[in-house]
Formats: sequence, structure tokens, C-alpha cells
Amino acid sequence: MVKEEKMIKITDLEKFYRTEEVETVALNRLSLEVKKGEFVAIMGPSGCGKSTLLNIIGMLDDPDGGSYVFNGTEIAHYSERKRADLRKHNIGFVFQSFNLIDELTVFENVELPLIYTGVAAADRVKRVEEVLDKMQIMHRRNHYPQQLSGGQQQRVAIARAVVNKPKLILADEPTGNLDSSNGNEVMELLTDLNEQGTTIVMVTHSEHDARYSHRIIRLLDGHTVVENIMI
Amino acid sequence: MFKNYLKIAWRNLVRNKGFAFTNLLGLTIGITCAMFIFLWVKDEISFDKFNTAYNRIYQAVATRNFKNNIFTDENMVFPLATELQAEYPQVEKAAVTTQTQSSLIDYKNIKLKRDILYVNEAFLDVFTCKFIKGSAAQALKDPSSIVITETFAKAFFGDADPINKVLKLNTSQSVKVSAVIADPPGNSTVRFDALVPFNYSDPDTKRNIAEWRNSSWRVYVKAKPGTTEAEVGRIVSAVMKKHNPDEKVSTYFAYPMSKWHLYHDFKDGKNVGGMIEYVRLFAIIALVILLIACVNFMNLSTARSEKRAKEVGIRKTLGSDRKQLVLQFFAESMILSIIAFTLSVILVIVLIPMFNQLVDKKLVLNFGEPLLWLGALIIILFTGITAGSYPALYLSSFNPVKVLKGSILVGKGAIVPRRVLVVGQFVMSILLISSTIVIYQQLQHVKDRDTGYNANNLIMLPASQGTNKNYDVVKNELLRTGLIKAVNRSFSPVTDIWWQSPGPDYAGKPAGDPIIFSGMFTDAGFSKTLGVRILQGRDFDGVPADSSNMLLNKAAIEAMALKNPVGMKMRYGPKEYTVIGVTDNIVMTSPYESVRPMMTYYSNNNVNWINVRLNDGIQPKKALASIKTIYNKYSPEDLFEYQFADQEYGAKFYTEELIGRVTNIFAGLAIFICCLGLAGLASFTIEKRFREIGIRKVLGATVKQVIMLISTEFLKLVGLAFIIAVPVTWYLMHNWLQKYTYHIDMSIWVFGFVGIGILLLTLVVVSLNTFKAATANPVKSLRSE
Repeated sequence: MVKEEKMIKITDLEKFYRTEEVETVALNRLSLEVKKGEFVAIMGPSGCGKSTLLNIIGMLDDPDGGSYVFNGTEIAHYSERKRADLRKHNIGFVFQSFNLIDELTVFENVELPLIYTGVAAADRVKRVEEVLDKMQIMHRRNHYPQQLSGGQQQRVAIARAVVNKPKLILADEPTGNLDSSNGNEVMELLTDLNEQGTTIVMVTHSEHDARYSHRIIRLLDGHTVVENIMI
Repeated sequence: MFKNYLKIAWRNLVRNKGFAFTNLLGLTIGITCAMFIFLWVKDEISFDKFNTAYNRIYQAVATRNFKNNIFTDENMVFPLATELQAEYPQVEKAAVTTQTQSSLIDYKNIKLKRDILYVNEAFLDVFTCKFIKGSAAQALKDPSSIVITETFAKAFFGDADPINKVLKLNTSQSVKVSAVIADPPGNSTVRFDALVPFNYSDPDTKRNIAEWRNSSWRVYVKAKPGTTEAEVGRIVSAVMKKHNPDEKVSTYFAYPMSKWHLYHDFKDGKNVGGMIEYVRLFAIIALVILLIACVNFMNLSTARSEKRAKEVGIRKTLGSDRKQLVLQFFAESMILSIIAFTLSVILVIVLIPMFNQLVDKKLVLNFGEPLLWLGALIIILFTGITAGSYPALYLSSFNPVKVLKGSILVGKGAIVPRRVLVVGQFVMSILLISSTIVIYQQLQHVKDRDTGYNANNLIMLPASQGTNKNYDVVKNELLRTGLIKAVNRSFSPVTDIWWQSPGPDYAGKPAGDPIIFSGMFTDAGFSKTLGVRILQGRDFDGVPADSSNMLLNKAAIEAMALKNPVGMKMRYGPKEYTVIGVTDNIVMTSPYESVRPMMTYYSNNNVNWINVRLNDGIQPKKALASIKTIYNKYSPEDLFEYQFADQEYGAKFYTEELIGRVTNIFAGLAIFICCLGLAGLASFTIEKRFREIGIRKVLGATVKQVIMLISTEFLKLVGLAFIIAVPVTWYLMHNWLQKYTYHIDMSIWVFGFVGIGILLLTLVVVSLNTFKAATANPVKSLRSE
């Protein structure tokens, strides 16, 4: 039997938000594991800590306690610079609101991560075209985000997330701003990527979308309440 | 309604403290500069206007056309004034004066040097003097009278009445105070401490009033109303030609009082301006600094338009028309302008003593003066309207439906004009800074010029009767102190020329085209004491034969085209001289001009200055104590006075140094205000691009990359400004340098230096603002979605 390698191992993770008067617990000694090649959906009501968890997994935020082992390395106490470096080579993001840069064309938006990882110009063109082609938005390469439909924008965002060939894609309600047909297309794309070996962690409110995953983790008040294995 | 505008405007400013602070700081600095320059310019253009006949007063001047030099001077003959007044009905009064003469005044053991002007009676008719005691009609009647100024009176008599008190003038002449007048105002071209009438029974004066060739007096004409400048010029010219029909060198004309101060410079016989250039320059600088500050307001207002678009949309929906919105935005800029002006007034009051020191004036902020209030109103309106114009028109133009729907990207339309304005600001700043550097370089270049003598450790004392009578003893005693290396005497101090004349005659001299020479008398030790290099032959030894010897300078032998001048015979006036040596050129007058030919004759009588060369390493203070003791011993009646040659030489840079200092400060402030605006714009840009920065960071951008992303936008603008500013500055400064015969060639490195400096400054200013955004956790920017 092939040994299943763990990509993410989170143990007793804590995160608090403090204002002057109140301390809110966002994540309460949360533990979970994600294996390489898995497609995991995280669900739960608003304010249960989904996005916080995703931000910590995505190394955008650091935890206040607990351990986070990514690909066998403890990174809970990594500096911002080290996290940023690890992030740009390993993780792609897909957001609900696409987060494309309005001033840049489709091509340029997708090209950005490659610039930041220092890929040579000629190579960048090739890789961006490849991924645009795969996402079927090659014909829109010179358009600006506001000239595209929501579905198209999210495809650009996915193209941007995968162009660096990340090991992990984090999707935060990727279909939240899309109609059902565009939403399904996006979910198909993510499934394809997962089938090609990319690990996916997706936060969603949609039971329908969650069914595309292998496993659903349900959160309540900052900790795991139940895990469903999808058959 | 207006109250409502003001209330909202005020609340907007209070709510946006950063915006208000940036603008207030910029505008306050801008207005403060403008006010200082306004006061300075007002003083400069007010020169001589206190004279009641300001528009009818002329000075007789002449352009002298010599082969090697065309120059304009004010030396006239004494009887010109007499004849003008007696024979020409267009002339109401004609005054004749000497130059001011620093004279020793003695009253009951108070001995002080004061500047005396010898004048004829018409002086008080031509020039307006405010009489405090005595009357204009009687003041100059008695040839032994003296009219003193208030400061003069205070120094000698304190609060006592000076009238009829007898003073001793230059140790021998007794003069009686006939009147006290107010000091000539700071903005008077003609300056003096006291007036003394000519004594027409004095043999020298008798000779002078009939002398039509020796020009060493100043002649002023008060014309009858309706007489033109050209007419006065024609009359002066006619009188001079009548008495000197063969004289071809001089062209006489009338120089109106309105030009005396501002248009003082002549080159090759033509008026080439003078202070007026600096008046214009400073007025432009004031305007530029104020504009830069206004541009900040425009840019920051339009940059934050996104925030206000919704407000505009709602107001329009609720029924406000465009005019009302325009007024509202103007109200905001006006409030800022008024607050900034008030702060500026406080700053001006606090800083005026420092500014006065800087520009060497006694300017005051006189609130009782209507012109000041007019100036204030102009500055407030100019600032408020200029700063508010673009934002008011731009912000009020938003379409409410689109704005409220969020379907247009508010603020985009203003990007290009904003960039143009930023470029404009930096063009002006770069121009100012580069110009300041060129001015500084030119000053240094001229200061470093080889003067042809050694001005260090050289002390010059006015010779007195006593020291001249006992000169050999004085000299020996000075040398015996062991502090002094060499002593000699000269006609004028080495930092000035008192004698100009057509040069000597010699065999083979081409006919016509006389060459103008500077003249000098000196005794033995000329080269040793002054440190002048002898290029050919020798210096005077002090032997009797020296009274028939002469020296020429390098410029003279070049102008005369002499190959072997040493040993040549020359004739000057009735006497023949032998050229015994050639000296190097000595810069005695303007350090910006080339040195004129000079002839130096030996004399023990025509010497007014004692030059003292100290030994190396001697403390001047110590040497002065010994010199003073010796001087007082042989000249007990006189006041011991001295000048350091290097300081006197340094004083020749007065105007240029002043201009340099002032432009330096204003250039610095201009760039500061620019940076203030840049910082404001950068922070708005960052605010707007906060989300983008977050996205980029999520995608792997480093802090450095984010900083460069934001900085590049500004660096491009500043770079463009640089490209525009360089040729403009080059052109302007090239023209300015042409004013000086002795000037630098502008180096491209000046611009390289300024360019790199400005770009670095931009980078620093923008980076400081960007750093916070670049290091912020991107989660925050994305969460705010």
C-alpha cells in the first residue's frame, strides 16, 4: 500500500482577535490533516473561523498557538518573509471576489505570480498562454477584468492560481459570486486540477460545491465538529 | 447658505486631518515665502519714491567710448550744474555734490567717522529731506554750516539740542550745526550722515567751479514739469559739447531717478538692468512656490475624490446644482487659504528679524499700510481660487447616478491632469535647485579667481597727515615690531580704483582710439607688500629716479601691443617716464570683469593708504594693537581705522551672495513643499491600491517589489520633469552667466547631481509612505473587500 503523505498537519491551532474590550476566539485548539492530492471542503456558519483557518493554511496569517506543519516543516513560527517565500512557490489562491487587478489585462494578471517567483520573460509568456488555453480564455488575454463576465473573471483567477504549478490551491468560496452554470464550470476546473495532483482546500457555504470534494470538515466556533468522508 | 458651506468645509478639514495638515503646511510655507518676497520687492521698487519730485529728478551721466572699454559713469564737471540752472528754463534746480567722504568728526573728545556729502544749496531743493530742526531755506547758507542726520545728532549730542554747536571736521575745519534732518530712508539711493555746503571762497572750490575737464562730481537735475528725459539729456549734452567741442569719447544723457536703484548696471554703454532682475526673479520665485503649494491642494483634493464622490452624488440627488457644489469646494480652499495666511502672518512676525539679517534690510510688517492689506487680499484670493479651482470644477462634475451605482471609476479622469501638475511642480523645483547650484558655482569660481595679489594678512590703513609727514619713522617702527613683513603706501586701496584716465603716449602709439587706463600711485615695496608678481623688469626701489619711472600691468602691454615694454619712454601729461617693469594683472574692481590696463607711478605725495603685510602666522589682533599704538603716536588727532584686504575683496560678492542665500532657502522650501505633495499623493495612491498591494503580496510580491511598484509611478513623473527642466535651466542660467565676463562653463554634472538627488528623494518620500502598506498583512486588505 502506498504511504499517504501529509501535506498539512495542524494541531491545537489557536487564533484570537482582540479589540480593546473583547477577545474573540476565532480558532479554538483546532486540529486537522490534509493529505497530498486531497480535495477538502471546509464548511460552517459565518464567523466559525473558516476564512481564518484558510488564511493560516495559506500562510497569510500566523496562529497564536498550536502547530502547523506544512510538507513536513513546522512553520507556525516562521517569519513573514519566510512564509511569503514558501507561499509563493507552493500555494495558489482563488477568492470569492476574484481579486483581479483592474489596471492589468488578463494576461498580465495571470503573469504576476511568475514575475514574483522570478520566471524569465520568455518562459512566462509560454506558461501564461498554456494556462489561459487550458482555462479557455485565451481569446480574452488582452481584455481588462471589468470587461469579463464573473465566470470568466474567476477562470482568470484560477489560471493565475495555477500558473505557478502550486502544490496546494486554497479556494475561498470560489463560486460565491457566480451563477450556477458558471459555478459548476469552476468546480469542474478545480476537480480537474485535483485529479492532476493538486491538493485543494476550499471554504464554501454550498453543499453542492462541497460534494465535489473528498472530505468535508465542518467547523463551529473555531473547532472541528464533524468530518464527512465523501464516497 | 454660505454659513452652511463654511460649516461643511470646516468639518471636512477636521475629519481629514492628514489632508488638512499637508495642505496647511504647504500653503503656510508658500504664503510665508510670498509675504517675505512681497515685503522685499515692495521695498526694492519703493526706492527714492519718497522724493516729492521723484518723476522729475535726473542724474547727468556719460558713456565713455574708449578703444578697449565702453563704460558708463556719473563723474561730471562742477560748473555743469551752475550753467544748467542759470541758462536753461527747463531746469528748475541743479545740484552738484561730491561722493560721500568718510570724515573724522570731533566734538568734545567724541571722535567718530561719518560720511559727509559736500553739496551746493540746490541739493535741498532737488532731494526731499525731512527737517527736524532748522529750515531748508537757511540750512546751507553759511559755508561753515553742517546739516546733520538724527543718528549723527544722537551720537554726538544725545538728547541735547545740536543747533549752533560747533564741530571739528577732519581735525582742522570748524563747522556749525545749522539743521537736523531725518536719516535718509533705507530706500534712498543717495546716502549720507551729514551735508556740508561748498565754500566758494576756498581756492580749490574756486578752481573747480571753472574747471570743465576734471570730472569727479555728481550732478542732479530737477526738471520743470513737462520736461522729458530726452530733453534733459539733450541739454546736458549741449552744455558739455559747448565747453569741450573736441571731446569725442563721451556721450551724455539724463538718467531718471526711477531707474537709479533698479536699473543700475550698464554694459558697453547700454543699460542692462540691475536689481530689477532680482526683483523679477524673486517675484517669480514667490509665485512659483505659492503655485507649488496650490498644486498640492489640487492634487490631494482630486486624489481623494473617490471618497467624496458619493457625497457629491447624494447632494446632487437631493437637489444641489453644480454651482452650489463649486462654491462649497471653493469655500474649503478659501478656509484653508485664510488659516494658512493667518499662520503665515504669525510666522512672518516671528521670522522677520532673521529675514532682515538675510537680505540686509530693515523691513517691517506695517499693519497700518493699505498696500499691505491689498497684498494680503491678493495672496489669500490667489491661493484660495487657484488651489480650489480644479478640484471644485472636477468634483462637481460627477454624474450622480453613475457615482452612486459605482459604475464609474471615480478619480480616473483626474489622473492625467494630476500627473501634469506634479511634473510642473518638479520642473520648477529642479529649475530652482539647479540654478542655485550654478549661482553657487559661479560665486566660488570668481572667489577662487587669481586676484594677482595676496589679500590674506594684508591690512590697509587710511594715511593721515601725521603718518605721511613721519612716514619713514612710522614704517621703521612698524617693521621693528617683528610682526610685520612689509609696508608701503598707495593712492587707493588695493580693492578699489580711484583714478581712470586715457593712457600714456609713446612713440608708435596708433592715432585715435584712446585706451582707458586705471591709474595708481605707490611708493617703494609695492610688489613685496601687496604680493604682486613682477613679470618683467623690476619694482620701484624708492630711489629719486623712481619719480620718472612707471610700471605697466600685463593687460596694458597687451592692449598697447608692446613686445619689450621695459625701458620704453612714455609721456603722461607734461612729464616723461621710463617703464621699469610689468606687473601681473590685479583684480581691484569687479571680480567678474577682466582687469583693465593699469599704469602705476611712483609718488610720496599722492598716497592715501598705508598697506601693511603681516608676517606669516601672526594674529591680526596682536598686530593691530601694535599698529594702533604707532599710528596714534604720529597721528594723535585722527581716528585709527583699518581694513582687511580679504574682507574688502569679499564684500564685492555682496549682491551675488545675498541672492545665492535667498534662492538657496527658497529652492529648499520649494522642494520641501513638492515632497509634501508627493507624500500626500503617495499615501492616497497606496490607499487606493491597498487591495492591489494585498493581492500582489498574496501572489508573492516582496516588500521591495511593492515599494518599487508604487515608486516607479512617481519616479517616472519626476524623471519627465527632469527632462523638461534641464534645457530650460540650461537656457536661463547660460543667459545669466553671460552677464559676467569672467564666468564658469556650465557642467552637465550639475544636472546629473540634481537628477540623482531628486530621484533619490522621491524614492525615499514614496518608500516611507509605501512601507507601511507593503509590510501590512494582506489578509486585512482582502478582508475589507
